[in-house]
Amino acid sequence: MPDWRGIVRDRITPLRVGEKRHEDIVAELADHLEDSCEDLVRQGKSESEAVQFALSTVADWDELRLGLQCAEQEEDIMNYRVKALWLPGVCTSVLSMVLLRWFQRMSPAPPVIWVWHGTFLVLYWRWLLCLPLVGAFGAYWSRRAGGKLVERVLAASLHILVLICVMALGFCIGLVLDFHVSFSLRLVGFAVYVLAWGIAPCFLLLLGALPFLRGDAAESRRAAASH
Amino acid sequence: MKDLMVSIGPQIKRGSAELAILAVLAEGPLHGYQIGKRIERQTRGLLRFNLASLYPLLYRMEKRGWVKGTWEDPPGGRRRRYYRLAPAGKRRLVPLREEWGQFFRALNRLAGVVHA
Repeated sequence: MPDWRGIVRDRITPLRVGEKRHEDIVAELADHLEDSCEDLVRQGKSESEAVQFALSTVADWDELRLGLQCAEQEEDIMNYRVKALWLPGVCTSVLSMVLLRWFQRMSPAPPVIWVWHGTFLVLYWRWLLCLPLVGAFGAYWSRRAGGKLVERVLAASLHILVLICVMALGFCIGLVLDFHVSFSLRLVGFAVYVLAWGIAPCFLLLLGALPFLRGDAAESRRAAASH
Repeated sequence: MKDLMVSIGPQIKRGSAELAILAVLAEGPLHGYQIGKRIERQTRGLLRFNLASLYPLLYRMEKRGWVKGTWEDPPGGRRRRYYRLAPAGKRRLVPLREEWGQFFRALNRLAGVVHA
């Protein structure tokens, strides 16, 4: 009899499940093929015919792998996204907004920078200084929950990315509704706000997140599972 | 039968396959190969499972808590993963049987009208 486990392992790898679960699935499918083969031999087929027949019952191994992957992650995907992206992302956003509001109310008036033709910028520098810590918090939480690189980045910077989208939407709507304002002035205003409220905070958040963007997600997931 | 199964929508196919698995497991614990064989025998070969159709479904049902798989070493046999009906699976089987009973009664009535 062939090495059924080796055959199955070669055909269903890579399967994105834990190592132990992967081996369990390999063992179970290999047992099934072996049983099928033994049955066929008992029915009078030669061993090589039985092996060929048993293997031919799986028309498409990629489809089987995909089916197994979907079955394994059907419910996990939602849990995983909630744990690794939405929960840390939303909490990071709340933390950032609470800090901004707190600095707006409690600290002395921030400096105002006049940019061009009445376009000005309020520099909440205390808030900006806190952002690396906020980003680190989001990325650390996401990594701990087993988040991959993209989830860690998004968890750290989710609210700023949403803010950039809202600003872009506002810019487009403004072009239609407020057409008497010159386009160049509007464009400068938009660029300044995106820089001040989007790119700079995003950069600072990701700067803080940087130490937590490295490291194996699978390892983190295993660590998360063991807790 | 193969053509008929192809034309049946995936929801109905999955529903019938779930019923078949839950029904055979209601009789006692079985490992994957035995589940496939038992279904094939009891339906006189009309329903057949292979590796690709059985295990993704079994794992999905296990995730939903309908069946529970455990590795066991039967005396004189190989170590196998045996599946049992979990309490949620028992609860699921009752309405599933009823729904499919109604479905087939409806089809029978329809077929009766067509043939009349």
